[in-house]
Amino acid sequence: MSVLASTAAQAIEFAAEAELNADDAKATAGASSAGFAYGLAAIGPGIGIGYLVGQAVQAMARQPESAGQVQTTMFLGIAFTEALALIGFVVFILLKFA
Amino acid sequence: MFALFAAEEGGGGGLQFPPISNLVEWPNYFGDGTIFAFNKIGLISMLALLIPTGMFLLSKKELVPRGLQNIVEGAVEFVDKQVIQSAIGPDGRKYMPLLLSIFLFVFFGNIFEVIPTFQMPANARMANPIILALTAWAMFIAVGVKAQGFSGFMKSSLFPPGVPKALYLLVTPIEFLSTFLLRPFGLAVRLFANMLAGHILLVTFGVLCIALWQKSALAIVLPFSFATLVGLTGFEVMVSLIQAFVFSLLTAVYISLSLNPHH
Amino acid sequence: MIASVILAAEEVEAKNPILPELSEMFWGAIAFFSLWALVKFVLLPPVLNVMNEREDRIRGDLDAADAARARQGSAASEVSDQLAGSRAEAAQIVDAARAEAEAERAAIIGAAEAEVASMKADAEAEIAASRAEAMSGIAPSVAEVAADAAGRVMNRQIPLSSAQPVVDRFLSNSN
Repeated sequence: MSVLASTAAQAIEFAAEAELNADDAKATAGASSAGFAYGLAAIGPGIGIGYLVGQAVQAMARQPESAGQVQTTMFLGIAFTEALALIGFVVFILLKFA
Repeated sequence: MFALFAAEEGGGGGLQFPPISNLVEWPNYFGDGTIFAFNKIGLISMLALLIPTGMFLLSKKELVPRGLQNIVEGAVEFVDKQVIQSAIGPDGRKYMPLLLSIFLFVFFGNIFEVIPTFQMPANARMANPIILALTAWAMFIAVGVKAQGFSGFMKSSLFPPGVPKALYLLVTPIEFLSTFLLRPFGLAVRLFANMLAGHILLVTFGVLCIALWQKSALAIVLPFSFATLVGLTGFEVMVSLIQAFVFSLLTAVYISLSLNPHH
Repeated sequence: MIASVILAAEEVEAKNPILPELSEMFWGAIAFFSLWALVKFVLLPPVLNVMNEREDRIRGDLDAADAARARQGSAASEVSDQLAGSRAEAAQIVDAARAEAEAERAAIIGAAEAEVASMKADAEAEIAASRAEAMSGIAPSVAEVAADAAGRVMNRQIPLSSAQPVVDRFLSNSN
């Protein structure tokens, strides 16, 4: 009887440890891939925003009288480009903390 | 945060980043467990309602503006010139209340990121961005239905002109996704992720400064870390303003696209 | 052990940091929609009124300034018109005066010349008269001297009566 009980307790313990290990492994994998996720997601938008702002500055330098319009459009473009990086950031948060 | 660190110091010390739930989740002041649970985010939302209201009510309405009136009229004029006139045009004046309240609510929700004792942007939680994005979403759909009729709005937003008939099989689902799902999602996530990233950035440097304060050997880099923290705080003030501007500008652009789709 | 499993399960079901919290949405919605309503009905209208009023005022002032400038321009042109008119008038007056003066001068000079001419004529007449007088005065004595001289040359007495006509004729010829 007591052997049976101790065996059952051991089985539960093993199961619990296995689950814990699975959780740990998942957390580790998530944490290590989180950095990659954000880093990769930032490449494209980084290039995009740099190019966009550079072109906007050029446009403003060529036609200072339309600087306001160019600036508004620039912010719009940045907002759309940046969205990709931000989705990457959200994925980072999800992988790391969720 | 100090308490948090004191707790962790016992466990070997070193630089340990607090779990994110400690950064963005706050204890309730009252109403624990119900929908009325009121925490710091709710408090900041209420302040984001009360501060603009107070500013508008307290500012004198004189022909020659002075002091507070300058700030209030500056905000109104900024929304008018930079958001409405540049995105919709002169007939966008009637959307001024919505866009101005979005601008003010987002800005005051954000700016608490750098105000001591708060140090938390309300928009770094998904709740307020979702509310605002759903409002903007409902607004641009309502404006489109009112301006073009229901079928006209659906036609112009789901079946863009100049596309071969067979391609509509491909284009229409994409348009549906991008117009009706990705727009509000993008609005909400843009604001949320920007503010959360800024908050985590400030927390990171704050944690770094505290850790360096405790490690006497490394204290020599503390001034640099602290200077970066101060600089980032200024940067976050700018981000608060830009995010408020971008949110209202995008709402205005969506409304404008609903008003005249072939623009 | 089982407690730790349950704890782990709870930890796995920890709140996702991305999902919105219902209570925060509740308070946020209350705050935002109150702000929208307040801005729409209470806060914004007076500010817009003041701004429109100021704009109208400024536009009115600018219009008034433009009108004043236009008025000033017309007044200036009027003044310059008047100035030109009075200048022309002045020139006319000066011309008239000059012409009058010229005429007067001509008249005065004419009168003076006439006077001078009459005085000259008088003087000439007087001279002629005095010369004639002198001539007539001188003729007898000339005849007398001539008769005397001729008598001395011819050694005889020449009557004055015969000499007289010759001398007279000579004098009148020589004259």
